[in-house]
Amino acid sequence: MKTGESTAIDIAPETNNSGPIGKKKSTTPLLAAPVPDRGTHRMKRGLAIFDFVLRIGVLASALAAAAAMGTSEQTLPFFTQFFQFEASYDDLPTFQFFVVAMAVVAGYVVLSIPFSIVCIIRPHAAGPRVLLLILDSVALTLNTAAAGAAAAVVSLAHSGNSSTNWLAICNQFGDFCQQASGAVVGSFAAVLLFLLLILFSALSLKNSH
Amino acid sequence: MKAVTGESSELKSSKLKPGVNRGLSIFDFILRLAAIVGALGSAIAMGTTTQTLPFATQFIQFRAEYNDLPMFTFFVVACAIVSGYLVLSLPLSIFHILRSRARATRVVLVFLDAGMMALLTSGASAAAAIVYLAHKGNGKTNWLAICQQFNSFCERTSGSLIGSFVAIVLLMIMIFLSGAALSRRR
Repeated sequence: MKTGESTAIDIAPETNNSGPIGKKKSTTPLLAAPVPDRGTHRMKRGLAIFDFVLRIGVLASALAAAAAMGTSEQTLPFFTQFFQFEASYDDLPTFQFFVVAMAVVAGYVVLSIPFSIVCIIRPHAAGPRVLLLILDSVALTLNTAAAGAAAAVVSLAHSGNSSTNWLAICNQFGDFCQQASGAVVGSFAAVLLFLLLILFSALSLKNSH
Repeated sequence: MKAVTGESSELKSSKLKPGVNRGLSIFDFILRLAAIVGALGSAIAMGTTTQTLPFATQFIQFRAEYNDLPMFTFFVVACAIVSGYLVLSLPLSIFHILRSRARATRVVLVFLDAGMMALLTSGASAAAAIVYLAHKGNGKTNWLAICQQFNSFCERTSGSLIGSFVAIVLLMIMIFLSGAALSRRR
């Protein structure tokens, strides 16, 4: 009887304040934000650390591609009056665009590393994640454009084209071609890593809230 | 009384948020339709480009077709694959309009959009590099500018690149929209 009286006294002021859901309010906090459980916390932190490691990988391959193409020069040991026997990356505007674009991508990756570190420290922040997703897709486009254009010219240099009478210069400048091909392969590796970075950002955003 | 108004405003804001997500999904669907038009138009325009010059000799070829350059073939194939993917992803986009809170399928859509954008960009930039070479030639490698002979072939290939560049920009905006929709609470 006494306990019944005490609950009757307790219920009345609660129904005055909060309406029909008042009883639930006494057990679970409805209006408070739900506490994220430890499982998603750890998974997001793991994704963020993997994202940081991948970003270092992208930086390495983008810098290597830019450097390999930028230092690709070859001078053949013989010469005549009429023909040029020196090949360098700035003979072809496409390769110049490649070097500049890969340098820009590498610079962007360096500047995005602090954001990645913020995402490791605060795994539940959505703002830096969305920003990284957007900027990564822009950098992916620039990287792929440079890689595709340089791949087209390298393929043309390797095999020539009979319909347009374009000769294959790789038959003479073997080292130059090899270094340029290696640079293109490095930039395609950076493209694959960017795709993985975008996937991880999207996965982290999915598991928040 | 204060708690009652607080709860009703919380209910109102949770009703508005699926509305914004639904708007983003509708915009994504419209952009997808436009990107299909762009990519398919590019593929068809490049694929039907031939030019035969009215004179001929024994040794030199005077017919230009997109097949002659493997980069143009790759461009046509990439545009066709991307437009096929966009058509197949239309049901997924409609599903996102109907269920604006779906998150896992949005992640799938973001990843596939990014992959297809990379494929299309590599095809379009390869074709653009070859078109640039065909227009300007290169003195150091003795590659002659073929556009001076094949005028309409060059014009048509240059024009067909525009549709694919538009599709690339639209795909990038679609990735932004999916990312924004994923980042919203609930």
